[in-house]
Amino acid sequence: MKPAAFDYIRPGSLPEALAALARHGAAARILAGGQSLVPMMNLRVVKPEMVIDVNRVPGLGEIRVDGGELVIGALARHAALLASELVKKHCPLMAEAYPWVAHGPIRNRGTLGGNISHADPASEMPAVLAACDAKIIARSAKATRTIAAKEFFVAPLTTTLAAGEMLTEIRIPSAPAGQGWSWQEEAVRKGDFAMAAVGVTLRVAGGRCTQAGVAVGGMERAGVRLAKVEAHLVGVALDEARIASAAKLAAELVQPGDSYHADARYKRELVEALTVRALTTARGRCL
Amino acid sequence: MTATIPKHIAAEGYIPASRQQEAPQKTYKWIGKNLKRVEDPRLLTGHGQYIDDIVMPKMAHAAVLRSDRAHARIKRIDTTKAKALPGVILVMTGEDAKKVTGPTAQFASPPVVQYCIAVDRVRHVGEAVVAVVAESRYVAEDACDLIEVEYEDLPVVVDPEAAIRSSGDAVLHPERGPTNVAHRQTYTYGPIKEDFAKADLVVKRRLRWGRSGAQPLETTGAIASFEPGSGKFTLYANSSFINYVGWLVGASLGVPAAKLNVIPCVTGGSFGSKLFTHKVMTLAATLARAAGRPVKYIEDRIDSTTNCDNHGSDRIYRCELALKRDGTMLALRFQVIDDYGAYLQFGYGTHGNSLCQIVGPYRIGSIEMELVAVLTNKCQQGAYRGFGSEVTNWMLERMADAAADELKMDPLDLRRKNLIQPDQFPYVIPSGNVYDSGNYPAVMNEALRLADLPRWKKVQAEARSQGRCVGIGVATCQERSVFSATEFWSLNPTDTPGFTLTSSPESVQLRVDPTGIVHVTLGSPFWGNSPETMATQLVAEQFQIDPAQINVVYADTQTGFNSTGPGGSRFTVMIAGAIVGASAKVKAKMLRIAGHMMETHQADLEFRDGKIGVKGVPGKEKTIGDVSLYAHYFRLNLPEGDDFASGLDANYVYDHPLTTMPAKDRSHLGIFYPIMGHMCHMALVEVDPRTGKVKILDYVAVHDAGTVVNPVTLAGHIRGGTAQGIGTALYEKFHYDETGQLLTATFADYLMPTLYEMPPEIRVGHVETPSPYTEYGIKGGGEGGRMGAPGALSRGIEDALSAYGVRCDELPLTPRRVRELVRAAERK
Amino acid sequence: MAALSISLKVNGAAVSRTVEPRTLLSDFLRDELDLKGTHVGCEHGVCGTCTVLIDGQAVRSCLTFAVQADGCAIRTVDGLAQGGQLNLLQQGFWEKHGLQCGFCTPGMLMVATELLERNANPSADEIREAVSANLCRCTGYYNIVESIQHAVTLMKQGAK
Repeated sequence: MKPAAFDYIRPGSLPEALAALARHGAAARILAGGQSLVPMMNLRVVKPEMVIDVNRVPGLGEIRVDGGELVIGALARHAALLASELVKKHCPLMAEAYPWVAHGPIRNRGTLGGNISHADPASEMPAVLAACDAKIIARSAKATRTIAAKEFFVAPLTTTLAAGEMLTEIRIPSAPAGQGWSWQEEAVRKGDFAMAAVGVTLRVAGGRCTQAGVAVGGMERAGVRLAKVEAHLVGVALDEARIASAAKLAAELVQPGDSYHADARYKRELVEALTVRALTTARGRCL
Repeated sequence: MTATIPKHIAAEGYIPASRQQEAPQKTYKWIGKNLKRVEDPRLLTGHGQYIDDIVMPKMAHAAVLRSDRAHARIKRIDTTKAKALPGVILVMTGEDAKKVTGPTAQFASPPVVQYCIAVDRVRHVGEAVVAVVAESRYVAEDACDLIEVEYEDLPVVVDPEAAIRSSGDAVLHPERGPTNVAHRQTYTYGPIKEDFAKADLVVKRRLRWGRSGAQPLETTGAIASFEPGSGKFTLYANSSFINYVGWLVGASLGVPAAKLNVIPCVTGGSFGSKLFTHKVMTLAATLARAAGRPVKYIEDRIDSTTNCDNHGSDRIYRCELALKRDGTMLALRFQVIDDYGAYLQFGYGTHGNSLCQIVGPYRIGSIEMELVAVLTNKCQQGAYRGFGSEVTNWMLERMADAAADELKMDPLDLRRKNLIQPDQFPYVIPSGNVYDSGNYPAVMNEALRLADLPRWKKVQAEARSQGRCVGIGVATCQERSVFSATEFWSLNPTDTPGFTLTSSPESVQLRVDPTGIVHVTLGSPFWGNSPETMATQLVAEQFQIDPAQINVVYADTQTGFNSTGPGGSRFTVMIAGAIVGASAKVKAKMLRIAGHMMETHQADLEFRDGKIGVKGVPGKEKTIGDVSLYAHYFRLNLPEGDDFASGLDANYVYDHPLTTMPAKDRSHLGIFYPIMGHMCHMALVEVDPRTGKVKILDYVAVHDAGTVVNPVTLAGHIRGGTAQGIGTALYEKFHYDETGQLLTATFADYLMPTLYEMPPEIRVGHVETPSPYTEYGIKGGGEGGRMGAPGALSRGIEDALSAYGVRCDELPLTPRRVRELVRAAERK
Repeated sequence: MAALSISLKVNGAAVSRTVEPRTLLSDFLRDELDLKGTHVGCEHGVCGTCTVLIDGQAVRSCLTFAVQADGCAIRTVDGLAQGGQLNLLQQGFWEKHGLQCGFCTPGMLMVATELLERNANPSADEIREAVSANLCRCTGYYNIVESIQHAVTLMKQGAK
């Protein structure tokens, strides 16, 4: 399974990369980790005319904290993020989800930016970013814009990135003190794409929930926030009954899609079970 | 030995006498040792020389354009753009190929005709429609993208029961008749009606065995070159049957066997899928002849999943097991519908195979099988570890567990009650095959001991008290070894049985060189078994020399003797026979010569520690090297006569140690797979009823493969086979949708177990009940674990979910499927 | 597109070649450099048979274009044995029957090499994590884990 021929450039700076992207538009693909793109190219499912290898663009791989936000450059590798103390501290949901992402060698090369841009609904990180109110910084040769993660993913393998735009940075508000979190996932085998996944952030004060972020993975579209479930949780005590009803609501709300490994009905059941687990665990982590 | 023989088989002389030369011993020097594998150093350094590692000068590369639809007439193929692409050497359609190359080899009768490239119609997604030869595989695939094919869609059949009813344009091979039923026949062995009439209870089940496949990490490939002056083909291939039926590829190519030399390669796994890679060899050779350059064709992974010609069994069973109220099994009858896919290369051999152990380890008196073989728009079946017997093993264990449930008996007690007893061997089963020896209660007891069943039951009880679902499953299964060729045709119609071969030998050439090194030439290749190590240990034992004095090599088809190949767990047994036979000749000559050198009577000499010496006289000896040097170069110093001809070598063809013809009327199938191993697998599993996820908490596998040559390598096969059994039971399926698209064509969807899906350990136990018929009493064990794991796991899951009353009668038991079973039970 | 020049180190030796951009690193190693030890199993990044080290990290060479390796240091199974001697990791596999057909073995050796170079004393869980990244169809994995554990022991003995 060999890829079709393509032209290749390896820009040495971000302006160079964006200029190339502007020139070639939809005929070009950005090559970062390649762990999602190259299999598709080898299968000839995609045949870009131009491949823009951004791996040598300096300054795109940073992981830092800036003004209450965890700032992750597009080229930060999954392996670096999994090992990062900053991620553990400022986005524990991401840290908990990362061991579920693929396997070591894939994580060595794969980038968060590439993974998010690829928008595979069964991938973990889109749901994490949606649950954490992350912002995506997209740049073109002409402009920069900020997109909320929960609005970034429009369809399977499709984001709101326009032709000529590249994801350069992801900004996640630092997890506030006392916030609980939980990532729950079911895949057929460990490391596989999720059949269903639920990522939750919660805050509790005076016995009531004051904030909830609930996102699902493995459904029809990546990075879906379940606003109605969050509304069902905020302002009330999170006892077993409330968690159970929230989970039921989640299962009703999702648009699961159908696949060979998990049909819609099964996915809904998984969402319900995983939401119970996630809410219970997150609640237990609230301080 | 007093044999147990059913009444419907004439007892007089039914079982031939044993030809065993080497009886099992209590101690050996080399047999039974965990010798480090001879094969490993070159594999560890990356110098294996697998098919894709081989390069020939001016070699070109082939790719195939695969059909994207399941059933269609090919109306038009436009290859103009492809041919014009720079770097393309040749583009060949099925019509082009058919002009020069005939149908590929196959064993069905009447034949199901297949060509290496589809000719006028495609019959499954993935079938080759056009082949391209180019300077690189990259360019060949570019050319495939430029080919335009116009199809006229035909009705698609993917459901085997629908296939039975299908007609008209839905028929895949109309030249064979107006039906997709390739064969329907009922086979009766023993007094089935009478036995059912005696039953207190008839347990009925419908069972569904899903379609999985070997999928070794190395795909199938071949490199062919054609020398026009001599008209001779040279082929490198990762194929096993080369010295058995390799010449059939020549027949497809229209050349006599003298014009075809097949050179074996180190093979990266097969599990049956590379037994006979005739289509790939035929295709590569056809392209090489046309291109005028050597051509390499290696299947890529999608070629393999969609077009490997080696999917596993795909069966629906409707079974009835007749029992007495006390649990005694009387008789078994069943209908099996087997979805063979689009072709039928091995005939109904996978059912012939299963009839060799169709009663399992139980004293069932009669069997009736209605076989309905159907053709559908899927990749055809080939061989996968068990070759059909792993399916009937599972079927039998499902029926035994079902009977235990209906009789409210402990499944272990039910099995114990019916096991063939140690004093009943050799045991002839209703279909006519023999079980040579065994001690099934000992195997079960060893498994129970290793598992510590009381501890497992405690774990289960504790889990249940916490609301968790934990279950125990036990399977006691046969593991036949050393197939006879009759399994390929004994089920064919008696008036047109097809190619009625009755030989399945293994050969070896032994040669001691002037320095005393023993060279062993095998006629069968390496495929992940340990042929060099086995041969080394056996020759070392025969000659009492150090393994470092032994060199094992592989013959091609020009120099190889009749050798069937690895498969059907036959190789170690058969090579042992060949080595014993060849060694006897060489050793006899060495004793003659040594006796002459030392002026001693041959009877006073023995082989010891790399020497030949006088028994009881430590100092009076000659090294093997001394004797061999003398044998090669000192003719005039030795007596006259052929007995002292210069050199030390012998060939030996070892035929199957115990096989007989089927009865003419097929009231029995003769003896065809008698070297019978046995296993007991036990699984402790936890199931999450909410998610359907299964976790294997503990696992035990006890095998009886007779005398064990190398315990560590055998344990490797047991564990590896169990891993594939876990895959078959829980994860793997080639799933075709209703339009015939294969939804699980990549490794992202065809899911094989990683380390995380395996139990924390698989405790392996051995019981050794030697065979009275094979050399040293060795039995085969290579297929191993896959033949028992599905039964143990199915029951474990069922037991875990006993509160729900779930039945695990369909494989694979994926999370989705298990959840569906729980959901259905909850609704009731 | 015309071929591009790349310069890299492979098993310690400097290499300069021109390659088409689409040439996969797996094919570059095998066909251009004749290093046949790295095997190809699936070409979509799942089986791990093609694993090599790039700048010390385990990477699937079937998902990497050779042009991306420009300026990098690649290590493959072909470079493990020194002077015709199996290294201690390979020795561990030999002594503990860590292979049957040998096809997945180069990939397993390379993930193990990455692991042991990061951590000479890995926990059982860390070894399992490394091995679970790759498929093996023959062994059931246990002997591969044991082989790596044995290599750790051999290395400790060697260090004394």
